[in-house]
Amino acid sequence: MVDRSQSANCLRANDSGVKRRWKRVPVNRVGGARLQRHAWCATGTFLVVCLAVSTCGFAAEDRGSGDDGERLFTLRVLPLLKTKCFGCHGVDPDDVRGEYNLLSREGMIRGGESGEAAVVPGKPAESPLYQAILWEGYEMPPKENDRLNAKEIEYFRRWIVAGAPWPSVERQAAIQRTEWAVRENEEGRIVDTSGGISDDWTYRRYQPDDLWVFQPVCSPDVPPGAEHVVDAFVHARLTSAGLEPAAEADPRTLLRRATYDLTGLPPTLAEIQDFMTAWREDPPTAWTDLIDRLLASSHYGERWAQHWLDVVRYADTAGFSNDYERSNAWRYRDYVIRAFNQDKPFDEFVIEQLAGDELRPDDPEATIATGLLRMGPWGTAMIPQQEARQIYLDDLVHNVGQTFLSMPMRCCKCHDHKFDPLPTRDYYRLYAAFAATQPAELPVPFLPAENRGRFEENEALVRELFEYARSELAKVNGKQEAAARKWYADHELPYKDEKARKNDPEDSKPPRHVGLTPEEQGIKKVREQDVWIWQRRLERYQPMAQAVYNGQDDHKNSRKLRPPQKVKQDWRPQNFILAGGSLEAPADPVTPGVLSAAGVPTGHGSADPWGLPASLAGRRLALARWIASDRNPLTARSLVNRVWQYHFGTGLVKTSNNFGAKGARPSHPDLLDWLTADFVVHGWKVKRLHRLLMTSETYRRSGRPVDAEKQAAVDPDNRLLASFPPRRLTAEELRDSTLLVSGELNREMGGVPIMPEINLEVALQPRMIQFSIAPAHQPSRTPAERNRRTIYAYRVRGQADPFLEIMNRPNANESCEMRDSAAVTPQAFTLLNSDVMTDRSIALALRVQQEQPADESAWVHRAMELAYGRVPTHNEVSRLGDYLAKMRAYHARHQPVPVKYPTQVVRSLVEEFTGEPFEFIEKLNVYEDYVPDPKPWTVDADTRALADVCLLLLNSNEFLYVY
Amino acid sequence: MSNQTNRRDFLYGLGASLGAVAFSSLLEADDQRPAAIRNRLPAGTPEADAPLAPKQPMHAPRAKAVIMLFMEGGPSHVDTFDPKPALNELHLQESTRTAGLATGKRFFVGSPFEARKVGRAGIEMSAPWKFLAEPEVADELCVYRGCQAESLNHPEALLHMNTGSRLGGDPGLGSWATYGLGSENQNLPGYVVMTELALPQAGPANWTNGFLPAHYQGTRLRSTGSPILDLNPPSFKTRAHQRQALDQLAMLNADHAGRHPEHAELAARMASYELAFRMQMAVPGIVDIEREPEHLQRAYGLDRKETADFGRQCLMARRLVEAGVRFVQIFSGGWDSHDYLEKGHASRIASVDQPMAALIKDLKARGLLDETLVVWTGEFGRTPDNNYRGGVTALGRGHNADAMNMWFAGGGTRRGTVVGGTDEIGAEAVDVVHPIRDVHVTMLQLLGLDDNKLTYFHAGRYKQLSQFGGEAIPELIA
Repeated sequence: MVDRSQSANCLRANDSGVKRRWKRVPVNRVGGARLQRHAWCATGTFLVVCLAVSTCGFAAEDRGSGDDGERLFTLRVLPLLKTKCFGCHGVDPDDVRGEYNLLSREGMIRGGESGEAAVVPGKPAESPLYQAILWEGYEMPPKENDRLNAKEIEYFRRWIVAGAPWPSVERQAAIQRTEWAVRENEEGRIVDTSGGISDDWTYRRYQPDDLWVFQPVCSPDVPPGAEHVVDAFVHARLTSAGLEPAAEADPRTLLRRATYDLTGLPPTLAEIQDFMTAWREDPPTAWTDLIDRLLASSHYGERWAQHWLDVVRYADTAGFSNDYERSNAWRYRDYVIRAFNQDKPFDEFVIEQLAGDELRPDDPEATIATGLLRMGPWGTAMIPQQEARQIYLDDLVHNVGQTFLSMPMRCCKCHDHKFDPLPTRDYYRLYAAFAATQPAELPVPFLPAENRGRFEENEALVRELFEYARSELAKVNGKQEAAARKWYADHELPYKDEKARKNDPEDSKPPRHVGLTPEEQGIKKVREQDVWIWQRRLERYQPMAQAVYNGQDDHKNSRKLRPPQKVKQDWRPQNFILAGGSLEAPADPVTPGVLSAAGVPTGHGSADPWGLPASLAGRRLALARWIASDRNPLTARSLVNRVWQYHFGTGLVKTSNNFGAKGARPSHPDLLDWLTADFVVHGWKVKRLHRLLMTSETYRRSGRPVDAEKQAAVDPDNRLLASFPPRRLTAEELRDSTLLVSGELNREMGGVPIMPEINLEVALQPRMIQFSIAPAHQPSRTPAERNRRTIYAYRVRGQADPFLEIMNRPNANESCEMRDSAAVTPQAFTLLNSDVMTDRSIALALRVQQEQPADESAWVHRAMELAYGRVPTHNEVSRLGDYLAKMRAYHARHQPVPVKYPTQVVRSLVEEFTGEPFEFIEKLNVYEDYVPDPKPWTVDADTRALADVCLLLLNSNEFLYVY
Repeated sequence: MSNQTNRRDFLYGLGASLGAVAFSSLLEADDQRPAAIRNRLPAGTPEADAPLAPKQPMHAPRAKAVIMLFMEGGPSHVDTFDPKPALNELHLQESTRTAGLATGKRFFVGSPFEARKVGRAGIEMSAPWKFLAEPEVADELCVYRGCQAESLNHPEALLHMNTGSRLGGDPGLGSWATYGLGSENQNLPGYVVMTELALPQAGPANWTNGFLPAHYQGTRLRSTGSPILDLNPPSFKTRAHQRQALDQLAMLNADHAGRHPEHAELAARMASYELAFRMQMAVPGIVDIEREPEHLQRAYGLDRKETADFGRQCLMARRLVEAGVRFVQIFSGGWDSHDYLEKGHASRIASVDQPMAALIKDLKARGLLDETLVVWTGEFGRTPDNNYRGGVTALGRGHNADAMNMWFAGGGTRRGTVVGGTDEIGAEAVDVVHPIRDVHVTMLQLLGLDDNKLTYFHAGRYKQLSQFGGEAIPELIA
């Protein structure tokens, strides 16, 4: 093959099949010769080779010489038999389905229990096996997903026509060697990787289309006809689809769109006025000024951090059976917000999250960044240590893959990837890259940038609960030990405390739980758990971080993760390919490494271009640098695509976590590459990318198609963006917007998690954890503390905020690449009936009344203005005015009943050992001095009536959708 | 689809909502569905188009609905439906078994319960089962002793049994069932879950829709307070008030939709408010079990403290299935008897025995048992031996993923049968051994669904309940 590493140009087939010349991106300049081996940006010379190769392919007609038949069998039929048939018809001699064994030609021809011959050489039509794979009569393979496609069926047919030859193993090997020598033919391309488990996999062929993301990023020529690069590429496709782009949206719509997209909040009335004034003077300047203002707003970081936290699965608890609190996770959340606000170059952001501790060991910020490596759900209770360790590492490998590379890795935990050039070896090389990484809570000083407001006050509330649990525990322990003392005295033995006597023989110590009733036994366990829970929560206020260190495997209890006294510097993990993903089946040993198919050498050791250092420390940093390399074809594409998605609703690649063969193809591959190259060459700056996208006409289009019918027929999913796709507010945007409109939003940033008011039934509902009931959700004490942006709300894996959950907030166990916005019926219950929404509607009503104290007739007008950001029509005001009048009459007759907040709740549990129910008290100390939001019973009938109007506005589609 | 049609359908949908239409016609859910929603999408995308509308099964079904009775904690098979006389012989002798998390010194624990054969079919049961032992009930059961779980920890094992995956985040059984079949009643959720006051371990992840569209998530019918969260407006707002509010909202939304004729999704949102209003009517009716005759309430044990809670849920399950709900699941906790096995299991059995027997008899009397699959299971079984807890001989059992038992009734399962078996001390399944996924495949098959075809494309591959395929257990099917 020709070495094209120095080639200045790259060539690629475009949609129409015409070859075109594109400029190479300067950043793709590479020294090493190996890199370009995968390039399918080929020179002309290569194409000639390709054509020549294609004549070696199989003749399409039926004549089937013996030679062709043997090749067909070796290269096509046998691999299909192996993957689709042998599982049930061969491999296990004790379990051959239907007594039909396919392992030999004789067995295959003879057939199974029916006694009928299954294959009649030369005559596919008379061969039941052929009928079965056609799914006529028999349906084989029986699973829809395994069913052979037309091409595969054709291989079988032609092979049977050729007399069903079954060459010897030696002959098969010879045929294969010849085949492998050809890197590319009409069957596809062989990709160089670190190698699969079998040669069949290593030398299998891929369709070039499926390999798009492994190709170096090219910077294609911009099509003519538009000033803005985004529009140029988008218009080119629209033109070829015969679609006319929609007109520019009106400025008010544009303002709302941009403000929500960049800050997750609606524009205020003042902002609307300012923008409209500026727009009247000079629309282009007004627009770019707006983008600059929004990007400079600290709400920008909150909004875009939320997207990132979706992908990395942020939560404040650890999930699994105990759902232990990750007391300092909030510091990672705030780090992400800061990173976006500072416009930290994305490559740096990647490296800090994966290896900040190795990069700058003395920089607290860099250690906090490694919180990413602690985001997955994880626990150790009742899980064997080695398995718990494996769960942790598997989670890291898979999620690092899909987060940074848009390459989910789970598939190749057990086998070489079925569709992508990802050998299971690479999975375990990545696994080895993390094998010295140990999760722990580390001491990390607070930064000046971190919000430590109300620490003392909040800590005191937690400490009170901690002390209560301790004293309750001391009571039962005291009773038990008094009985124990008595037992020892009765037996004339010296007293030993509970711990000291644990391993004594049964006849020389008191019975377990001596002196305790079954109820007290239960309470003892509950209070022990409580002590742990509150101890962990107290750590929120300590200068600690959920982070990692490099060290030896040792016993881990996820209740408390601390580095060992001594890290063994000479310790090295031993890693193997685990066959079938099983710890019991270690196969080849592996050293740390990267994804070989990406074709980017790591530069560590020439013998192993994909290798990483095998030292105790430094594995992750080398991996991080490889991921964040300018030359890595996956990372920058992945991020650019995500940013596009959050602006336009759908990514250029729809599956933003999966760029593999089973993910979607890019709708505008050239645009994605152009943007990526531009992003990298300009230093991985995300804010610059926003500006680029948002200044396009494509972004400023109206949502109203020029020809809706045609657009629906030609481009039903609106991938070509002839019009701008509307979207529903996300759960967080909805909550934040209601707070903003009602005037209650406290814009304070950062700090320990806040506790919003949630549905009281859910807040108090008992929730089982390993041995006990998790503490109730107590809201933050004052409105200012709890009515902050949703990104700061305490996120518990085991208990979702029902309001956010119903509005399609994803669960935090799986990476969320894109929010769902399905309209499910219970949303209507929440939005119309919940206390949370009632409270917002009352606050909005109070705000309106305060702003218009003298003029009741202006109430409706003002409420609509605040909620919709526009001047309502006369008709709207008069209709809702009538409704308001009716509601005033209604509420004068209907008085709400005050709800009292409980300061404690009685819990009931079934004692694990005895099956006996017992009760205990949980204190809700926040409610002892609680400042509620305005409630229906604290306002008068007129306010409640106006709140009814406000509630409708907050429920309406105009409020819920962004156009 | 033209904008005109779209607009017309909006108005049609709204017209029906403006209070003028009689309530009876409001209940005809299908007619309430704007044609825009029905016709907008090409065939083959049912999840976006009235997602819970009944769908044709893939093959002739044996069961139309499922009631799954989940005993959380891991009921002991050797103390319920798989008695082991040989184990009783070994009582308190030292055990050298190595399995699972077993460490340290262990000893065998015989069953504290007598066992006997009941009914004409002679199914074995431990003595505390009194109501289930009645021949007319016992002879309906198909006891299965061959299933093996994989996890030894409660949450993972619960998730495995309920979602097919140990890790959480995959759709629940009922999600797959409603995704495949929709539901017969559009005014009720298609997949209903009832729990004790405390949620089971792993919580709502046991009935999540996972990667399936949100329409298929299990809806929890709460035993106290509002049966569905925020189902009703605050107490100072009447139903008439709610109707007025909805009418005003419909007008606001109609104005807005008029300005955005191109935005088809709005119709679905508007329709969801109307469905919510109908559900507000339908749900209280369903949960109002006072409507049931008193003798039936007594039969379910509603008059006795130990059976009242579970009895109410069983009775509710029957009412839901009768009303066309596809999948009902009830969780009953407290089966994790590491110690005081006799007391623990006896009290748990007493709490579910009578209600379950009443449920089977009631379904049978109404001709519903043939088309309703009742499943009784836990997340794993228990060990024949125990360790010294706190250094003391504790008469209980550990977690056992290698052996468990479950039973089925109705829905096309084989009546009066015991399928599969464990070794002579109940340590491990040895006969008709199948992993959990095969039980799932069997349940789907009885519902007329083929696990290999009931797939959903997610994260790069077609996912299915069994994860990577499984096989039905023919011995369980009549």
